Order: sequence, then structure tokens, then C-alpha cells
Amino acid sequence: MSSFPVLALFGLLGFCFIVIIIMINSLIYKKNSVNNSFATVDVLLKKRYDLIPNLVETVKGYAAHEAGLFKEITELRARTAAGGGNIPGQLADASKMSGLLGRLMLTVENYPELKANEGFLQLQRAINEIEEQISAARRAFNAAVNEYNNAVQMFPTSLLAGMLGYETKQYFTASAGDRENVNVGEILKK
Amino acid sequence: MKKDYELLNFFRESMLPDLRGLEGKRKAIANGIWIAAGGLAGLVAFAFLSGAARLGGYGVFIIIAGAIWLIWSGFSLYGRYSEFKSEFKQEIIFRLIRFIDPGLSYSKDSYLPYPLFLESNIFLTQVDRYGGDDYVTGKIGETKLEFSEVHAEHKTETTDSKGNRQTQWTTIFKGLFIVADFNKNFTGRTVVLPDIAEGMLGFLGSMIQKLNFARGQLIKLEDPEFEKLFAVYGDDQVTARYLLTPGLMQRMTEYKLRTGRNVHFSFADSKLFIAVSYTKNLFEPRLFGSLVDFNLIKEYYSDLELAAGVVEEFDLNTRIWTKE
Repeated sequence: MSSFPVLALFGLLGFCFIVIIIMINSLIYKKNSVNNSFATVDVLLKKRYDLIPNLVETVKGYAAHEAGLFKEITELRARTAAGGGNIPGQLADASKMSGLLGRLMLTVENYPELKANEGFLQLQRAINEIEEQISAARRAFNAAVNEYNNAVQMFPTSLLAGMLGYETKQYFTASAGDRENVNVGEILKK
Repeated sequence: MKKDYELLNFFRESMLPDLRGLEGKRKAIANGIWIAAGGLAGLVAFAFLSGAARLGGYGVFIIIAGAIWLIWSGFSLYGRYSEFKSEFKQEIIFRLIRFIDPGLSYSKDSYLPYPLFLESNIFLTQVDRYGGDDYVTGKIGETKLEFSEVHAEHKTETTDSKGNRQTQWTTIFKGLFIVADFNKNFTGRTVVLPDIAEGMLGFLGSMIQKLNFARGQLIKLEDPEFEKLFAVYGDDQVTARYLLTPGLMQRMTEYKLRTGRNVHFSFADSKLFIAVSYTKNLFEPRLFGSLVDFNLIKEYYSDLELAAGVVEEFDLNTRIWTKE
């Protein structure tokens, strides 16, 4: 009979131990899914990166006036090619690139011959698609960050997150440039 | 979508004469049914009375003759009704379909092929009986579209303690099933199901949703109104968001609210599947009640428009991505 309290204590300790393990694992899982979804964004950014030189070359032939814009795009592309930088920095560059490409697509409206070029039209479709995919991946990334941040800030997982040194992560927010991109879609529909 | 007055003009100018013709046939059939019902009632009354008075030979003869007449008129009425129904569908339903889009074709007795139903992955219960009618196919702009009324059932057999077998049919789905070519290329599957758990139980419901293992990952989206109505499952978080853009989510929400019915969506094999549940039989003529009624025609039209309108409603003709 006297062993009952001891057993109960062990049981309780065992239960707490299991709960803590589950909480730690869920935190690690959420952190990994943030990284994983960033990797998806990264893959798509690389895909877009490969499309840019072709696009710039095609448009250049018709729209020599936009030299300033080409320069900006090429420089930004070179900077992202250099790699490195933290996730927020890369994401900011990605938003900026979306904005620049959006502007480039808008200028196309001034060059009717360009709009009749089959090669360009294909590139334009490809860019539209990749932009839409980037935006989807960005939303998936934000959803993962949201889950992770909730876990880091909410009790009781917040206690463990503090011990593990987990901090909240930054969302991938749309810049003014991205909103400009929406306009491109509108124009293309016409 | 066409305006009300356009439909009214169409109704007045090109449907009224045929509707009046059909209305005459409808009345004749309805009258036939009343007469047969009256005959049946008279025969039952006679049998009862003659039985009570023990009329003998004559009574039996009259009852047999009456029964033969009833069976004959039953068959004849059924035949006339089938003919009437077929004419109604060809004249009225097909004309309404053409009014919506002249590029659509119609087959009143066929239905959406079963492989397509299966491909949608919306309903996971095993289908033992599959049927339907009113199959519409065609292309609206760039988008291939097909739909029909579909009824899919599941069979359960039970044996009681005495060894008697009982077969029971349960409906898996009954209503409009729509398949449209989607305007983006994608791989994998994403299903959008009516949300029962979260709508009723809130946070707890969302925990229950996660446990739906047969469906793949639960995908939480940003639109709160959409999330209240639907639960999304898919193979891939990014693909699901690539398909379900904020604009499309809003359109799906509007569609669901406009129909006021249970609506399932799914994306698979480069297609969009939509299942809208109905309890009534769609596109059938009514027997007791006039056909020359604009409100009745409008009802047929809006059910058809619900299916044929998805191309416009979900903007499927916008082809700015790599899929042409």
C-alpha cells in the first residue's frame, strides 16, 4: 500500500516528461517547416533568376529607352546571385525584384511590336506563372511562420522556446513593388 | 451571366409557342392521371360494395375488366409521359443551354463518365451504383466544360438473426457535377470540402480537421470567411496556395453563399471539379402545374447557369500563365 504514492509520483513525472518531449518536438517541427517553406521560396526565386537574362535581352531589342530599368534589374540580379545574406534580406530583395519586373511588364505596353513577339509572349507567360508561384510560396512561408510564432509566444510552449533560445521570425511582407505587379495582371487581361 | 430581362425576352420570343404546345400535352396527361385515379377509386368502391352485397358473376367480370383498363391506361400514360419528358428536355432545356452559350451540346440521357467522378477525389466512399442524366459538354472561350446531374450510391448489405438479407442504398452524392479545364498547370491534388467541424466547434473543430488522415495535409488559408465555410486538404502547401489565390477563395465563398447548398471543389489532373448537392431531380418537367410560367423557366435557367457559369465565375478564361 505504501508504494502507491511513490508509483503515482513516478507516473506523474513520466507523464510530464512525455508532454515536454511532445512540446519540444512540435517546436522543432514548426521551426523546420519554416525553413522548409523558405527553401521552396528559394527554389522559385532561382527559377525566376534564370528567366531574367532572357527577358531583359528580348525587351532590350525593342525598348532601348528603358536602359535605367534594365540596369536596376541586372544589378539586383547580380546581388542576389552573390548569395549570402539573411532570410529577411533575401526576401526583401525578392519583393524588390517583383516590383522591378512588374514595372518592366508595364513599359511593354508602350511597345506594340514587342507585344507581337512570340518569344516575348512566352517569356511573359512564364514570368506571370513564376510570380504567381512565388506569391503562393510566400503565403505558405507566412503560414508556417505564423504557426511557429504562435508556438513561440503562447503558453506553455513559450517556456520551452525560451529555454531553447527560439525567437519569433519575420513574415515575408508584400512591398509597394508587389502591389504594382497586380496592375500588370490587370493590364494583361485587357 | 445574362440579365433577367434578356431571359424574359428570350422566353417571350422563342419559348412561348413551344411551351404552349407542351402545356396542352401536359394537361392531357395530367387529366389522364386524374381519370385513372378516379377509375381506381371507383373500382375499389365497387369491389367493396359488391363484395358486401355478394353480387356474384357480374361483379367479378366488372372488376377484372376495370383492372385491365387500369393497367392499360397506366402503361399508356407512362409512355405518353416519357415522350412528353423527352420532348420537354429537347425543346426547353436544350434551348436554355444554347441560350447560355451556343457552343454547348446536350445529351438528355447520358451523364458525366464515372472515371471523371472518381478522378475528382471528392468522395472517398466506394460507389456501387452510378447514374444520372442531362449531360452538357462544350467549350466556353478557351475553357472546356462538362457537367451533368449525377447520383452516386453506396450499397450496404446486412443479414439479420434469421438469415434474411437486406440491401440498403445510401446516397453518396446527388446533384450537379461540373468539370472544367483549369487555367493553370499543376501537379498533385487539392480538395476543398464543406467545413462542418470548424463551423460548429471553432478551435476544437480545427484540431479535429487535422486528424483527417485519408485526405493528406490540412491547409490553413488566410481568408477567414473562406475558412469558416471550407476545409482544404492537399498534397502540397505551395500548390494549394498557387491554386487558391485570394481572388479565387473569395469567388468560391460567393459561389457557395449564392447557391446556399453544400458545395465541394477539387483540383486534380489540371481540372477543376465542382459538386453541388441537390435533393430534387434537376431539369425534369412538372406535371401538376402550368409550364407556361416564367418563374419556372427562370428556375431551370439558374440551375443551368450555376454549372455553365463557372467559367466566367472563376475566371477560367484568363490564360496569362504557361497553360494555353
